[in-house]
Amino acid sequence: MVNDFVFLGFSLHAWITIVTVLTMFSVLLFTKLRSDLVFLGAIAILFVTGVLDAKEAFSGFSSTSVIVIGVLFVVVAGLMHTGVLQWIVKHLLGQPKSYTGAVTRLMLPVAALSSFLSNTTIVALFVGIVKMWSKKLGISPSKLLIPLSYASGMGGVCTLIGTPPNLIISGLYADHTGSAMNLLATTIPGLFCLAVGVLSIIAMRRLLPDRKAPEAAFEDTSDYTVELLVPSDNPYIGKRIVEAGLKDIRGGRLIEIIHFDEVLSPVPDDEPILGGDRLVFAGQIDEILDLKKTHGFVNADHHVFTMDEVSKDRQLRTAYIPYNSVLIHKILSQTTFEKDNNMTLVAVARQGKRLEQSPHEVKLHAGDTLLFECPPKLNINTDQLCSQLQFFDSEQVPNIGSKTLISTAIMIAMVVLSALNVIPLLQCAFLAAFAMLIFRCCNPDQAMKAINWEILMVFAGSVVLGLAIQKTGIAERLAYGILDVCGTNPIIVMTAICFVATFITEFISNTAAGAMFFPIMYEAATQLGYEPYPFLIALMISVSSSFATPIGSPTHMLVYAPGGYRFSDFLRIGLLMNFIILAANIFIVNVVYPLTPLN
Amino acid sequence: MTINKLNEGEQLVVQLSGRLDTAAAAEIAPEFQALAEQAAKHIILDCAQLEYISSSGLRLFLALRKESAAKGGKLQVRAINADIRQVFMMTGFISLFEIL
Repeated sequence: MVNDFVFLGFSLHAWITIVTVLTMFSVLLFTKLRSDLVFLGAIAILFVTGVLDAKEAFSGFSSTSVIVIGVLFVVVAGLMHTGVLQWIVKHLLGQPKSYTGAVTRLMLPVAALSSFLSNTTIVALFVGIVKMWSKKLGISPSKLLIPLSYASGMGGVCTLIGTPPNLIISGLYADHTGSAMNLLATTIPGLFCLAVGVLSIIAMRRLLPDRKAPEAAFEDTSDYTVELLVPSDNPYIGKRIVEAGLKDIRGGRLIEIIHFDEVLSPVPDDEPILGGDRLVFAGQIDEILDLKKTHGFVNADHHVFTMDEVSKDRQLRTAYIPYNSVLIHKILSQTTFEKDNNMTLVAVARQGKRLEQSPHEVKLHAGDTLLFECPPKLNINTDQLCSQLQFFDSEQVPNIGSKTLISTAIMIAMVVLSALNVIPLLQCAFLAAFAMLIFRCCNPDQAMKAINWEILMVFAGSVVLGLAIQKTGIAERLAYGILDVCGTNPIIVMTAICFVATFITEFISNTAAGAMFFPIMYEAATQLGYEPYPFLIALMISVSSSFATPIGSPTHMLVYAPGGYRFSDFLRIGLLMNFIILAANIFIVNVVYPLTPLN
Repeated sequence: MTINKLNEGEQLVVQLSGRLDTAAAAEIAPEFQALAEQAAKHIILDCAQLEYISSSGLRLFLALRKESAAKGGKLQVRAINADIRQVFMMTGFISLFEIL
């Protein structure tokens, strides 16, 4: 019965797979559920409904490419904790004299590093440095941070280990054909696309927004609000605003007074001050915060009854809300964040502009920049806070020493040995990770913390979904469909599939797109009677070419808030980049790997 | 909200009853202005029947206190309930007024 069901050419199992995949991506797009759970749920459905058997359903977890990705996290942890990456970042950028020079100095090293290391790690490292560098060069950070993210994506495709989709696609290719791709299989096409990408960015620089750094909103001397609380033992209680000297304060003005039962704005001059009042000032932050000293007011995080509760040794810090922050859509005063972290929110800026609202009533958005008064830097555990906030100055630079050299040597040995096929990549990665631990480039704790299990689960899930798409005949049907539309010209078919993959990957993870398009591309090439190798190289570049939306890549999300970007900023330059890189990709792949008919 | 004035010897006792919210405060403001004219006396604000006080109500108390201080009078607050005591604690009025 189940086997007899066919609708629009697809079996029941194929329809279950299609509905599961579409539902899964809708859930990922429109909800905030953890992506690993969503992928696991999808696998569970495919397993329970009999689309996949137990071995197939859990094949992703034993996939060589997924294990390589996991082990590489440990290798990168070794490099991070010995300061190699930080040293490279500091010494590569220099002092270029023009925008062209700056973009080149930035994009090429980032691409080179990303070709061997996680793109996300590289971009996360560079973001803070690029922001400082852009200030020094007098270039808006928004002109450099999109190129930074694009460079990491384009660099990642230059080697098989540079980006997970390459590992997934090459792993699936090895499973299908029995022959492994070389570590540097994508290097020449990747470098060509990178060169085209860098030149395109320079040529299209006007399409990049020229925006103030988000934290610059707090540098403006009259563009923020500060909320102060009147303690219950304050000497100014009972005095009118004029009498208390709050009508005209240096560097700002009182814009709102919040009594325990009503809000007054504008504030009448003869309004008395009551204990527990929250006074909202607009103006120059340091001048207003002086009122804490002169008038005995305190930060309005919670009600303070005595002045003894006010600590002295505090400082101002700016942070932004990352895309995946748990604070998104929350009002800070309704959480225990400030109390838990001993910080007080004094101002909020959105897209470079200070919000008029009282900061404690602002529903936070991704990308918002927050100004906190908080304890000295060393007391803040920025690692612990990273799921909530990213501090602009949270870069930690380890000491450069002998371990820096050791970890560099380990990394180089790993790349060379696997590129020359002396030792297979998986074994190489394990040896490198082991060496990092043995030589104490990172400790076991740091190594385990470095492994991003959520990402690994998503990768494993992607492999399983790709398998379901192939097993149920969806890939074959889609491949035939594409051949029906595009005819039998292999270059047109390659272009068509890469085109669709490029745009699908804007909305789903590059790895998932790679796993799902692998069977379609493989089938299409085989049906046309051509060796799939060049088709798959083109696919690798396509699924990593997601330039047009900030959700297209985790690295875009990393630069989104620090660059003060809007969604449309990525669309404007990214759409063109998608087409340019697609054309460059098809051209160079066909030059480097001419199509060969299957024997 | 009702307000009742009694003379107890030298003292002027002002009995407040009900809820002294924003609307009620506007309503009895003229009564407090009249009291201000007698602020040189010893005034006791009897709150035994007062259920609630808003910031507008506190403003009336405060204005009378200033007037009393200016005219050399004496102002005391009597028999506030637990809720109002809490408001007095939070707003710091507990140390501004003599509470009986």
